[in-house]
Amino acid sequence: MNDLMTDARERLMARARREGLETVGYSVIDSPLGPLWIAVGPKGVVGIHYGAEPSAGELGRIVRAYGPGVLPDARRADPVARELDQYFAGKRKRFDVAVDLSPLTDFQRRILSATARVAFGDVSTYAKVAARAGSEKAMRAAGQALGSNPIPIVVPCHRVLASDGTLGGYSGGLDAKRTLLAFERGSVPPGGWPNRPSS
Amino acid sequence: MITTFGELLEQHEREIFAYVLRLCGDRDDADDAYQETFLAAFRGWPPPRRGQERAWLYRIATNKVIDRARRAKRLVRLADLKLAAPERDGVSLADLASAIKVLPEGQRAAFVLRRVQGLDYADVANALECSQDAARQRVAEATKKVREAMR
Repeated sequence: MNDLMTDARERLMARARREGLETVGYSVIDSPLGPLWIAVGPKGVVGIHYGAEPSAGELGRIVRAYGPGVLPDARRADPVARELDQYFAGKRKRFDVAVDLSPLTDFQRRILSATARVAFGDVSTYAKVAARAGSEKAMRAAGQALGSNPIPIVVPCHRVLASDGTLGGYSGGLDAKRTLLAFERGSVPPGGWPNRPSS
Repeated sequence: MITTFGELLEQHEREIFAYVLRLCGDRDDADDAYQETFLAAFRGWPPPRRGQERAWLYRIATNKVIDRARRAKRLVRLADLKLAAPERDGVSLADLASAIKVLPEGQRAAFVLRRVQGLDYADVANALECSQDAARQRVAEATKKVREAMR
C-alpha cells in the first residue's frame, strides 16, 4: 500500500507540475539540528523551517505570497537539500542556490541581504548589519527582521550577534545558533566573543 | 484549516486511495482515479465549503471512478463498479468484499463510504449527491443485505 501510494503520488506531482498547479515544492530533510522543512518557489528558496512541519504563520506567509499550490516535491527541493548536506558535512562554506526574498518588506530584504554577506566563520552584530542596510539606528528593527528570517542557515542570521558579543536570539533556538557557530568557528566562549566580530 | 494543496493531500490521500482502490478493484485504475481526483481538486480550489474538504474529495473521487467506468463501458451505474478488498486487509475484509458484491445499484458506494471508509451521513450524502435520508436508507438496506450474505 505504501509503495503503491509513493508511485501514484510521484505521478500526481509530475502532472501537477506540468499543469502549473504547483507553485511551491517542499520536502523535509534530516540535519544535525533535526528535521528541516524546506520550500522552493518559482524564483528560489522561499523558506527553511526548523522541524518537520512549518508553523501556521510560516505557511500562511507562503500561501499569501505564492498561492495554495504548495505541494510535497522532493525533486524541487533537491538542489538546496544537497547544498545543506554539503554544508553540514563541512564541504560547503557558501550557498549557491537562489533565495527569493521578494515577498518581504524592503527593510527586511536589505537586512537579510546584508546578513547574507557575513561569511562562513565570521560573525557580525545587529548594529553593524543595520548600518550596512543603511539604517544605522534601526538595530532593534534589524533584530526583529533577523528573528523572522524565513530562510535561516542559507541566509546566515546565526552569524549576527548582540553588540556585546552574546548570542542574541534565534528562531531555531539558541542551542541551534550555538551549534552552528561552534561548527563554523569553534566552541562559543562563555560570555560570547567579546566585541571582536570581524565584519 | 487546510490552506494548501499539500495539506489536502497529506491529510486525505491515503483514505481516498484506499476508497478508489476498493471501488475500482484494480491498481492501475485506482492510481489514475486518485491522480484525477486530486488534480480536479487542485484545479477546482478552493473547496465549495471550508471544513468539508473530505466530503468534497469523496464526491470528486466517486464521480471520477464512475466516469472511468462509463468511458470503458459506455454506460455504468454505481452497482456495476467492481469492489476489491486490499490484500493486506486479510480474510474478513475479503469476505466482506464478496458480500458487498451482491449489493444492488446505489447501495454499494453508500455502504463503502459509511461502513468501510467511516464517513458520517452528511459526508456520504455529499459524496453521493443525494439527501441524508436517502444516504441513510441506502446504507441501511445495504447493511442488511451484507449481513444476510455473510451468514
